Amino acid sequence: MASVEIRDLRKSFGPIETIHGVTIDVPDGEFVALVGPSGCGKSTILRLLAGLEEVTAGTISIGGRVINEVEPKHRDIAMVFQNYALYPHMTVAENMGFSMRLLKKSKEEIRREVGSAAEILGLTPYLGRYPKQLSGGQRQRVAMGRAIVRQPQVFLFDEPLSNLDAQLRVQMRAELKAIHNRLKVTTIYVTHDQVEAMTMADRIVVMKDGYVMQAGAPLDLYDQPANTFVARFVGSPSMNIFAADVSGGQVQFAGTDWCAAPADLAGAVQMGIRPEHFTIGEGGAVLAVENVDPTGSETLVQGQLGGVPATVLLRTRAAVRAGDLLPVAVRPELIHLFDAESGDTLPMNSEGL
Amino acid sequence: MTRNQRKATDFMIDVGLVLFGLLMLAPLLMLVANAFKSPAEMVAWPPTFIPANPTLDNFRSVLGETPLLLWIWNSLSFAIMSTIAIVLTSSIAGYVIAKFPFRSINVVFALFLATAIVPFEVYMIPLYFQVKDLGMLNTNQGLLIGYLVMSFGIFLIRQNVLASIPDELIEAARIDGAGELWIYWHIVLPLLRGPLAALAVLAFFQAWTSFAWPMIVATRRAAYTIEVGLALFSTGYTVDLGKLSAASACVLVPSVVAFVILRRNFVQGVASTGMKE
Ligand SMILES: Nc1ncnc2c1ncn2[C@@H]1O[C@H](COP(=O)(O)OP(=O)(O)OP(=O)(O)O)[C@@H](O)[C@H]1O
Ligand SMILES: [Mg+2]
Repeated sequence: MASVEIRDLRKSFGPIETIHGVTIDVPDGEFVALVGPSGCGKSTILRLLAGLEEVTAGTISIGGRVINEVEPKHRDIAMVFQNYALYPHMTVAENMGFSMRLLKKSKEEIRREVGSAAEILGLTPYLGRYPKQLSGGQRQRVAMGRAIVRQPQVFLFDEPLSNLDAQLRVQMRAELKAIHNRLKVTTIYVTHDQVEAMTMADRIVVMKDGYVMQAGAPLDLYDQPANTFVARFVGSPSMNIFAADVSGGQVQFAGTDWCAAPADLAGAVQMGIRPEHFTIGEGGAVLAVENVDPTGSETLVQGQLGGVPATVLLRTRAAVRAGDLLPVAVRPELIHLFDAESGDTLPMNSEGL
Repeated sequence: MTRNQRKATDFMIDVGLVLFGLLMLAPLLMLVANAFKSPAEMVAWPPTFIPANPTLDNFRSVLGETPLLLWIWNSLSFAIMSTIAIVLTSSIAGYVIAKFPFRSINVVFALFLATAIVPFEVYMIPLYFQVKDLGMLNTNQGLLIGYLVMSFGIFLIRQNVLASIPDELIEAARIDGAGELWIYWHIVLPLLRGPLAALAVLAFFQAWTSFAWPMIVATRRAAYTIEVGLALFSTGYTVDLGKLSAASACVLVPSVVAFVILRRNFVQGVASTGMKE
């Protein structure tokens, strides 16, 4: 096991730079999720880590050793691909024992290691089958097994669950987490599904267009997003962002005072409110309800707030119907303020509220 | 369409196909039959399908007077070596062109394809002089020089690699510690079994039935391939149909046997080209 340090990493394909100076620290044994929208460079970073692409600038170290120039096979990593990359002409056992066979391990030793990995993953009955005779979830497990047998310093996962159906995805999520808890191998996990990242990772790195937007523990990202991008990206349904004004020391929007503005703030500001933080209250703002989605325990209400689309998630089974005028309020300390231009979070003087 | 109508249609199609098959087969069967006939019966009218007095004279004299078995051996070793060479060169070149995309590779690939446009006969004579200067006339190596590479084979393998071997498979192997040759041998080749088998059949028969090149490279009787040898039966002032038939029948046997063995691979390889998962 080892820590991974990525320092000011840059990658260009031809003249176009796609990774613009990324720095990520992964302590030994941690499970880090790399999230971001499609095309933001998650896979590229993983491929740079694996040595499948050449680093343009910056350094990557594993266990304190700079590995920029080290060949993939000497980096001591295992990678699980989105399409599993199982060898179609090898059985499950052969697929899993592949790396050991290359290390010229004895047949006996290979069988033992493959056997114990298969045990962990519940693959023992399928060791003699070929990949095409397996279901998607089983193939996914074989790909996992191949990585486990390798006993690497670092696991790299590139959207390993995205080809599975929703139910299986939830199940595999738990299994992966359990395996990580058991083996404690440093893991870097790429996904574009923020729920997956929130539930599995010790730490999340949010990326956009080749830049790191924010890195931190899942709940820290949720509570203190660094900017509007992270605020919208983390949490489901995503945060409402309203264009508000500061006047008389108050943040005003839709004709209502929402919270006290920090000192020396004036003019336009962006105000973020999570849908689940709204309460039905006596506040001044009124939501013109357009659509109601009851999910049983919760009620998702969509409508217009001050002429702007807004989403409200009520934790109760509320008797709300389209066309209603719903008075909504938010506790001031739950409100986020962002710079109107850059979208960066503004420091709040939340004490005493 | 009712079930009965469909059955009737199927039956008619079957009958048509069987008739067509017999038509295709008739000349071959006639050839084999002729090989067992006496000279008199050979020219008799109407021709008989089953020889009245089957005789082995034709075979006896062919095998006695000409080095037929040697020629078959020449052809066989030439065809087998050419097949091995073409399978190896096509799989390596096709794989490299498909999976190692540096910029100059497309130029190389275009050049490969260009050679398919130039007929072999155009550069046969210059190639002949090279073989001659190398002192390889009348040798198997000399024959092989014209049949080591097949541009269609390179193209076929490239398309198959692109369609059926994802990059991740090769990358996974690299991460797991496999060298490039190991990947080629243990992953790429096994996955290309179908198209390579089809290519092998094509390459084998291309060499087995080649005529012009062996004709000019082999100047001594003992170095002839079977095609060249057979041609000599009819180039004299007389044509000995009986002997020619017997010799041809001998030649047919390996072809038919090879085809029966490789048929399934061939059909699968051509049909499944690029259609895997
Ligand atoms: N081999 C390449 N050549 C040129 N550009 C590339 C190459 N690989 C990736 N890119 C570019 O780099 C950027 C990041 O791609 P990457 O595959 O890392 O995105 P991603 O975050 O993994 O997206 P997704 O969630 O869709 O998988 C994209 O704009 C892509 O077009
Ligand atoms: Mg990706």
